[in-house]
Amino acid sequence: MGALIKIEWLKIKKYPAFWWMLAIVMLTYPSINYMFYNIYNEFTQGKEMTNNIAKMLLGNPFAFPETFHTVAYFSSFFVLLPAILVIMLITNEYNYRTHKQNIIDGWSRKDFMASKLIDVAIISFVVMTVYMLVALGFGIYADPENMGRITEQLHYIPMFYLQTFAQLTVAFLLGYLVKKAFIALGIFLFYYLVVENILVAYLKYKKIPITRFLPIEVSDNILVAPAFSGNFGKDAKEGYELALTLVGEQVVLTCVYTLIIWLICFKVHGKRDLA
Amino acid sequence: METVLQIDGVSKAYGKVKALQQVSLTIPKGSVFGILGPNGSGKTTMMSIVLDVLGADAGTYSWFNQPPTAAARKRIGSLLETPNFYHYLSAVDNLKITSAISGRGTDQDINEVLEIVKLTERKKSKFSTYSLGMKQRLAIAAALLGNPEVLLLDEPTNGLDPVGILEIRELIRRLANRGITIIIASHLLDEVEKICTHVAILKRGNLLTSGPVDEVLSNEDIVEIAATNMQALKDCVAQMQNVLSIKEDNQRMQIHFPSGTANLEEINQFCFNKGITLNLLLNKKQRLESKFFELTND
Repeated sequence: MGALIKIEWLKIKKYPAFWWMLAIVMLTYPSINYMFYNIYNEFTQGKEMTNNIAKMLLGNPFAFPETFHTVAYFSSFFVLLPAILVIMLITNEYNYRTHKQNIIDGWSRKDFMASKLIDVAIISFVVMTVYMLVALGFGIYADPENMGRITEQLHYIPMFYLQTFAQLTVAFLLGYLVKKAFIALGIFLFYYLVVENILVAYLKYKKIPITRFLPIEVSDNILVAPAFSGNFGKDAKEGYELALTLVGEQVVLTCVYTLIIWLICFKVHGKRDLA
Repeated sequence: METVLQIDGVSKAYGKVKALQQVSLTIPKGSVFGILGPNGSGKTTMMSIVLDVLGADAGTYSWFNQPPTAAARKRIGSLLETPNFYHYLSAVDNLKITSAISGRGTDQDINEVLEIVKLTERKKSKFSTYSLGMKQRLAIAAALLGNPEVLLLDEPTNGLDPVGILEIRELIRRLANRGITIIIASHLLDEVEKICTHVAILKRGNLLTSGPVDEVLSNEDIVEIAATNMQALKDCVAQMQNVLSIKEDNQRMQIHFPSGTANLEEINQFCFNKGITLNLLLNKKQRLESKFFELTND
């Protein structure tokens, strides 16, 4: 296991796309959150009555402990960035034919697939670390007096990791099966941005309650919209509370889906001709 | 004799195309084993199967008298088809990955093999900047890394210039002298004839022959003779016993005898007794090239 991590790190650390991805993530996560932080400030900092009502309704979503939830939610919009990298890392192996060479040099088929699982785990970890730092930064910046509550919602860190890992696993599966980077990326983008959104809207319109079982939605629903979204009327509150009660179930479902995908990949790779 | 690789009845088809049909082969330890065949004869398919890149439809194989495992592959330095490396990494970084996967070779060994293939000066350049010949040499370096017990080389001189080809041939000779088992697939007959101790010939997925080079080549003795009066010589030879076939070519005759039965003295005496004085009497070795064409021609 240690040897596999070492070898994958050798491959990743000198891959320029990895550092590009990291740089863009490090720019994007603070930026998107800062944008929402500004919107929040605009709503709440005036002296008028409406501003005070807004402040009462919203609380401070960027102060401890809510920051871990809020930042996770907004940052998770950008899973596309690490997904591109994950797809590149597997399709590169086909492109360079190193998926053969690694086996020729002495890896088993299982070792190879485990090394790809490690890639997804490493990238999820790197992205999670950026999210953690951004959430901490906002917590300290938004309301230093709340520091004492820092530990209250730390469970959002593993939840963010699980969501990222699960969605990157879907990206990996596409790259693994399709083999061509641009086609796999195209399918992933089209599904992630268009197909599933249309499906969700249509199924909700038809009142068919299965949207939370869709491949991306299943893990999207781990991180529900920040708490303040439940403060805008009775419907919103009910919706928010229902989503919260389902989180446990979504976590289990996501684990099951992710496990199934990896089992399929291991099984297929055990028998596949490496052409 | 100890066996390095044993292949038993291996078959492989790609749809309707039968790439390998019931191929069985034994590769003894310490041999330089040439696998010959025209393009599309199944050489690379066979090597891919024994390296677990492809699965066989039927048959089995064993490395070092054991069922094949990933651990056995770590003992084999291989170059299969094309040089496969990470384009964005340097030669050194690529070999570090080879070393980490195979468990063969230290940083010092990496420098040594790069020196052997003459890539030291460019060892820090990215693989993507290499010429075809340099890529091939890096692949040879990867196969040599950490002194494996067995080398398996598929067309090792592909893309090399004449000097490069000569250097690799010399290198293979030196390694063979050290007792390393070397398996080479090639369609360059000259190359194989010059360095191999054993040979196998494949055609359209069928194994035509295999064994020590001398045995494969010399199932016939060939004697070349000539005399001033070729017609008289021809009549004389027609009376000889044990002759398999006679070929006439350019004022010379080639007489084929069963292996081990040609005796130059007897032939000379026989012709002399019939009143013919020979002006040429040669024991001719069959060349691999002619054997190859004999076997692979339809």
